[in-house]
Amino acid sequence: MEMKPLIDVLSIAMPILYALLVLAYGLVFFRDVEFASRLQRPLIVVILLVHGIYLGARTIAFQHPPITSVFEIMTLLAASIAAAYLYIEWRTTSRNTGFFILSLAFAFQVVSSVGIHDMTTIPEYLHSMVLGFHVSAALLGYTAISLSAVYGFLYLMLYHEIKSTRFGLIYNRLPNLEMLEIMSHKSEVLGFISLTVAITIGLIWLPRVFKDFSYFDPKLLGTFAIWVLYAIGLSAKRKFGWQGRKMMVLTLIAFGFVFLSMTVINLYLSRFHSFH
Amino acid sequence: MNLVSVGISHLTAAVEIRERMWLSEEELRRAVTKIKEQFYPECMLVSTCNRTELYGIEGKVGVDAREVTEFLIEFKNAGDAVRTDHFQEWKSDEAVEHLFRVVSGIESQVVGDIQILNQVKEAFALARESHTLGPVMNRLMQTTLHVGKRTRSETGIGEGAVSVSYAAVELAGKIFADLSRKSSLLIGAGETGELTLKHLLGKGIGQVFIANRTREKAEALTRQFGGTVVDFENVADAIRNVDIVIASVNSPTYVVLPEHVHKVMKQRSNNPLLIIDIAVPRNVDPASKKIENVFLYDIDSLSGVVDRNVEERKSEIPKVESIVQEELQEFLRWVGSLEVGPAIQQFHDLLESIRHQEVEKNIHRFKPEDRELVDLVTRRILNKVLHTPATVLKQESEEGKEETMARVKALRDLFGFSDNGKDQHGA
Repeated sequence: MEMKPLIDVLSIAMPILYALLVLAYGLVFFRDVEFASRLQRPLIVVILLVHGIYLGARTIAFQHPPITSVFEIMTLLAASIAAAYLYIEWRTTSRNTGFFILSLAFAFQVVSSVGIHDMTTIPEYLHSMVLGFHVSAALLGYTAISLSAVYGFLYLMLYHEIKSTRFGLIYNRLPNLEMLEIMSHKSEVLGFISLTVAITIGLIWLPRVFKDFSYFDPKLLGTFAIWVLYAIGLSAKRKFGWQGRKMMVLTLIAFGFVFLSMTVINLYLSRFHSFH
Repeated sequence: MNLVSVGISHLTAAVEIRERMWLSEEELRRAVTKIKEQFYPECMLVSTCNRTELYGIEGKVGVDAREVTEFLIEFKNAGDAVRTDHFQEWKSDEAVEHLFRVVSGIESQVVGDIQILNQVKEAFALARESHTLGPVMNRLMQTTLHVGKRTRSETGIGEGAVSVSYAAVELAGKIFADLSRKSSLLIGAGETGELTLKHLLGKGIGQVFIANRTREKAEALTRQFGGTVVDFENVADAIRNVDIVIASVNSPTYVVLPEHVHKVMKQRSNNPLLIIDIAVPRNVDPASKKIENVFLYDIDSLSGVVDRNVEERKSEIPKVESIVQEELQEFLRWVGSLEVGPAIQQFHDLLESIRHQEVEKNIHRFKPEDRELVDLVTRRILNKVLHTPATVLKQESEEGKEETMARVKALRDLFGFSDNGKDQHGA
């Protein structure tokens, strides 16, 4: 438990660091501040390293990876979103979506830091490798779905500006509508596939581990509802050619359900599928 | 700084005058070579649709700018239309500042014109190939291009479309990711419509369809731009297969109605459709704008975009001017350092030769054992006299003070040595 003070400090520091990161990207997006522009890339790299130390410290101190509670998952999700964004920024050299995507990472980290607590003893099943795959797939899925929602949100903002001929900051700074839609769709597909894998592993593994397993558990039903929603959306796009604004609105609605599932259902309604 | 500039521009002459002074690449080569022979040892000429300007470094003998202007008019054989008073003249620092302002686009007819940077770059390249650039003009070229790049990267002077046709193309770029995979339909053959199509082709639009009431006119346009002719009666159907529609038909009633657009959007799986209606009266019923994924713009909404962009560009002028001043001072500092060193050396050489002559003339009046001391003492006096002015001039030059060049000139005038290193009194 020598790491406890470090963990406590980092638990408070992480939201502050993400807030600084969002501030840097915001200053560039809204005010074009050159100093902030020079700071962006080093800051995101440093924050990811610090986040890695934080996650590593938790793993060592509590002798299990930080995947055992929704708040641990949320800090992982924040890191995962920031890492995914860094990859996008590196591949596309476009920094103009950073403010919006990293705001989401910041939000997840704030919720995590507020609710996270130390779990020194965990049930034996949480050491399972299968759980590792299940959580990794779910994490990738939720990260991709979060990104898809951010791109969807940006699409709708830009769509509104173009339609109303009020060309402002959003119009000048964001990539074009088609690109935002492509990015949202690709993230959505990746999210859907990952979620499918996570659900499949879960359905095989959960009944074996939990004696009180029920197919009617609210979390399970919620996750399945989300999966069905994405399945319908993606099929409709493929079959009926749904695209543009309609698809982006659907994406945001689906993400609303995801957020609801991750927070309300996970915390208050789930009986067995909650590990704390 | 002995840079001189003479030029004709949209500020001093109408297009019918300016066009007479426009020089082709071949003419530019011949002209700069002649100007180098007759007037300026270092020179370059910029010629665009809005300006023809000559920049030259004066040699030992001063040149009357009027003579150069007359040469240019004669070279173009334009004496029947162009007068010398159509030209403006800038000298020294003002000429450098003018060039920096030109390259940054704030002197352009369309504020922030992006083309001028390339045009100046080409003019310098052409002068270099013609061997009319020397060390000063070379340095001026590098700084000028640097100013052009800085103003565009550090300010918004070149941002936003400033013509209706280009605003339309910019909009297309904000809706579609890859224009080479998109197609466009031009309905009618208005001038702005053609210009928009031209810009779209410049941006690599994939396919082009043209429809016009007079089929021959549409065919003539396809010969000019490429593409396929569509029967005017089938325009509504043709929209189904394109992503961008440019409507500029002279028609008293709407050519495209919301029900057409509704039907077409269903047929095209709700793929985004950009409609640029630049006709007056309008060709497309504005109610079509309400349809999802349809982006409809008329001439007023595009003009509004252009006006806003122009205003935004104008608001960037102070930032550009600040960069121009910064770079101007830096350049003048360099020029100053180039002239101060030789001037001090020449001043020293002049005084030393006087000292030497006087010592030689009077040395026999001193005892042989004192003669060496006389030489040493006079040398020391000379160095002490020179120390303060030399230090002040060097310091001022390093600090980029404006009066440095005036002081160097005064020194040269007062003591009678020219800038080629020889005093005019033969000392």
